Amino acid sequence: MSARVNSNDPEKIEVISRRAAIFGGGFGLLLAGIAVRLGQLQIVDHQKYMRLAQENQFNTRIIAPLRGEIVDRFGKTLASNRQNFRVLLIPDEAGDFEEALVRLRKVVPVSDDKHAKILREIRRTQGYAPVEVVNNLEWNDFSKVNYELPHLPGAHPEVSETRDYPLGNATAFVIGYVGAVTDRDLAAPENDDQQVLLRQPGFKVGRDGLERTYEKELRGVAGTMDVKVNAHGRVIEEIEDSVTPPVQGATLGLTIDADLQLAAMKALEGESASAVVIDVETGDILVLASTPAFDPNIFTKGIPSDLWKELNESPYKPLLNKPLGGIYPPGSTFKMVSAIAAMRSGIPPSFRVRCNGKFWYGNRFFHCWRKEGHGTVDMRNAIKHSCDTFFYSCATQVDVDVIADTARKLGLGETYELGVPGQHSGVVPDRAWKKKFYAGTPENQIWFPGETLSVAIGQGSVSATPLQLAVMAARIASGRAVRPRIVRFRGDLELPTPTAPRIDIAEEHLTLVREGMNAVVNEPGGTAVRSAFDNKEWKLAGKTGTSQVYRITAEERARGLTKPEDLPWARRDHALFVCFAPYESPRYACAVVVEHGIGGARIAGPKAKEIMTAVMTKDPARLKPLSPGALARTADASVGG
Amino acid sequence: MASIILPGPRRGLQDQVARLHWPLIIMLSMIAGAGVATLYSVGGGSWSPWAGTHALRFAISLIAMIVVGFIGIRYWMFLSYPIYAVALIALALVPFIGDVNMGARRWIDLGPMQFQPSELMKVGIVLALARYYHGLRAEQVSHILFLIPPIVMIAAPVGLVFLQPDLGTAIMIGATGAAVMVLAGLSWRLIFLGVIGGVGAAVAAFRFGVLHDYQLKRIFTFLDPDSDPLGAGYHLLQSKIGIGSGGVVGKGYMLGTQRELNFLPEMQTDFIFTIFAEEFGFVGAIGLLLVYLGVVLTGINIALRARSHFARLAALGVTVTFALYVLINTGMVMGLAPVVGVPLPLVSYGGTVMLTIMVGFGIALSAHMSRDPDGTTL
Repeated sequence: MSARVNSNDPEKIEVISRRAAIFGGGFGLLLAGIAVRLGQLQIVDHQKYMRLAQENQFNTRIIAPLRGEIVDRFGKTLASNRQNFRVLLIPDEAGDFEEALVRLRKVVPVSDDKHAKILREIRRTQGYAPVEVVNNLEWNDFSKVNYELPHLPGAHPEVSETRDYPLGNATAFVIGYVGAVTDRDLAAPENDDQQVLLRQPGFKVGRDGLERTYEKELRGVAGTMDVKVNAHGRVIEEIEDSVTPPVQGATLGLTIDADLQLAAMKALEGESASAVVIDVETGDILVLASTPAFDPNIFTKGIPSDLWKELNESPYKPLLNKPLGGIYPPGSTFKMVSAIAAMRSGIPPSFRVRCNGKFWYGNRFFHCWRKEGHGTVDMRNAIKHSCDTFFYSCATQVDVDVIADTARKLGLGETYELGVPGQHSGVVPDRAWKKKFYAGTPENQIWFPGETLSVAIGQGSVSATPLQLAVMAARIASGRAVRPRIVRFRGDLELPTPTAPRIDIAEEHLTLVREGMNAVVNEPGGTAVRSAFDNKEWKLAGKTGTSQVYRITAEERARGLTKPEDLPWARRDHALFVCFAPYESPRYACAVVVEHGIGGARIAGPKAKEIMTAVMTKDPARLKPLSPGALARTADASVGG
Repeated sequence: MASIILPGPRRGLQDQVARLHWPLIIMLSMIAGAGVATLYSVGGGSWSPWAGTHALRFAISLIAMIVVGFIGIRYWMFLSYPIYAVALIALALVPFIGDVNMGARRWIDLGPMQFQPSELMKVGIVLALARYYHGLRAEQVSHILFLIPPIVMIAAPVGLVFLQPDLGTAIMIGATGAAVMVLAGLSWRLIFLGVIGGVGAAVAAFRFGVLHDYQLKRIFTFLDPDSDPLGAGYHLLQSKIGIGSGGVVGKGYMLGTQRELNFLPEMQTDFIFTIFAEEFGFVGAIGLLLVYLGVVLTGINIALRARSHFARLAALGVTVTFALYVLINTGMVMGLAPVVGVPLPLVSYGGTVMLTIMVGFGIALSAHMSRDPDGTTL
């Protein structure tokens, strides 16, 4: 640039003025374009965007359904939903949360622990998410909160539902319990369309027992309601007339008789024991008792870890469903099987054996439980006196496979469709079983004749659950292949009584065994005469059993330890008793197993008698059980009233 | 005319205040006031966290504008190249000493305050180009040799800002620089070639992967916003719902449901026009746009009445920057421009951009106050 430039060169001014005018005009035009677009959005398409804004605001919220109830055979409640009065606190509305909490504590009791826990929880949650301060409030306290509400910022008294088991621990193993939803529940494919419901705060699903098996039926169908929400999902307003009500889950009607269940629990109190009572015609399980048991009402609220530890470590195994999952050597209760197997193998009931307390076989003595021996016994008396020698003698002439086949015909060695988880099949040993059991070591697969002798008196490898023993008693009593069941109806669907065809065992064989069982209880000298009914119009037929848990060694015997009472509890023999009544026209069969109870006659028999007395007194088979229709009518009536 | 600027007589403060461009100050205050009101609503009816700070920042920026305006335009011309140089050096230093924020390195931390060189460059590029064209004769403007310096002056900061990466600001600086060149009188033939070149460069950038994925996505979303209603297009859709549902007169102040229900991201910054339009409706939004139009026309008026070519170009340049902000932001929230993160001047929350704009108008004010008292026009 050589020459000085004139800043106000008219040519430059003219150009820039022109360009500035173009800029101003261009800006004006583009702004007009913006204005047109604004008009298009706000005036022409206003309705469309208004509707979209509405859709943004409104959301469908889930209303959790009531869980189906569980009732006993006469409609008595075993599991229901109880109103739970609780108070929630919403931090956003509380202002100073800690002060709001302190104020609330002046009205309702909140423990210091809980107080600290709430303060911890509050740090993790969003401000609009309610925090539960107290639950299971008494009506008095709850109404006090409602009365004081104007002075309790952020507090929301609320009525929710909680699962209630009125019989407590008595039905713990039948019904199970419900618990909080876990990640595994959410991941389960059957829950794909239930995610929203499962994520509801406080929603519970069946964790054990029938609650778990029938989760789908009990859960019900969620209702819906439109709510106004913000972009974060916080509910601002509920729209009343948009409600689709939820549908309560199906009612489960059980075969259990609550009164008898409680009677059985009482009879077994203080023992580690189980009892099963079956209707021998229908297979209905009237009693399925296991002691000691946990209280499902506590489990529903979340199991405290110290309680869980205590239950897990207890030698009485309060978490084991003993009637279904406890397996025991059946001991002498197996002798009916052995007797029938003997008759099927051609040994007549008149076969006599002289018992002098022991039986030489192979290269060793097999002992009878009665050291002095029973003298000469026939088959009926062998059952009556539970003579081991007689059955050792039979076992030398009977193949183990015939014993196993008989045991299976009478219901041992299998599991049943009950819907209650945790069933064990037990062991019915035969040659095939041993081959399979010792698959890895062929030298151990050979069946030794001496083993058959042990099996014949219910020892050795044979084992059974109390449920199977009750089924065995029921099949002996009825001569039919009774199959146990525990669910009678599900909602409106009445489940048919399973057909029970005759079992493939000659009637005269069954008759002889029944006579033997009658003699056990009702003839002088029988092993369980103490278990005869006090009411002489009824006759109980039964069989005792004592199964060895620990063999007293020669050294211990030398030290003078001969009586089982001298052994520590865990080494004492199990006490068993199977029975049916009335003897002449059997209707109820029962099995009782008392772990480490020492003697079937002394411990298990009397308990069975107590239970069966209650059963005979009520005689539930005589009463008409509840039908699903009747239940629906009751519900309607209560709505109308 | 012997000298570039006539040294004016020394004036008293009272005289100076009287010579301030009050209509401009009032219009800018109205816009900032709309910003404060909207931010109060966005804050849920609260001065914190945005409305109060916004008001305070505007007060400070207004003082800065007046201070800049009190300084004679000839001093700004004298300082134009140094300011540009400082901004360019700072930009070049950002990759080495800048702070990383949200994946981009844009800030230099100066202890108590943060400094964003790209914002200083928005003013610097206007001043430098104005100074450059001030010294050219009319016929030199479109001469090929005299094209090289301004293109280098624009390309250097645009390249540095693009590498930060900050596509929005790079486009703003480039567009501002190009606008000053056009205003300076670039021939239409060259403008046409420039547009072709710009489009070519954009296509090349697109083809050869110079752009980041999120930048590409925004462009695709702009071309077809309904393709991805829950992803990148979600914000735009929510913004259109907010504006459209406002209707003619709006839902009422503090009653916007899109605002209340938090459906919009960045409500206090890029999408604040949505909230304003939702609550004040078509009437309110047009009113705001008219004030913006008023500010731009005032800026042009000041430029045309200025006494030197530098003053004219500088005043026009800052007005162009302001106008670009308004057009891109309002176009963006209504789906007429890609979502590139450009704020609505003086309404969006954010101190740096506000200060840049107000200092820019301070230059225009300086041009206004340094004009011939007789006000010879054209």
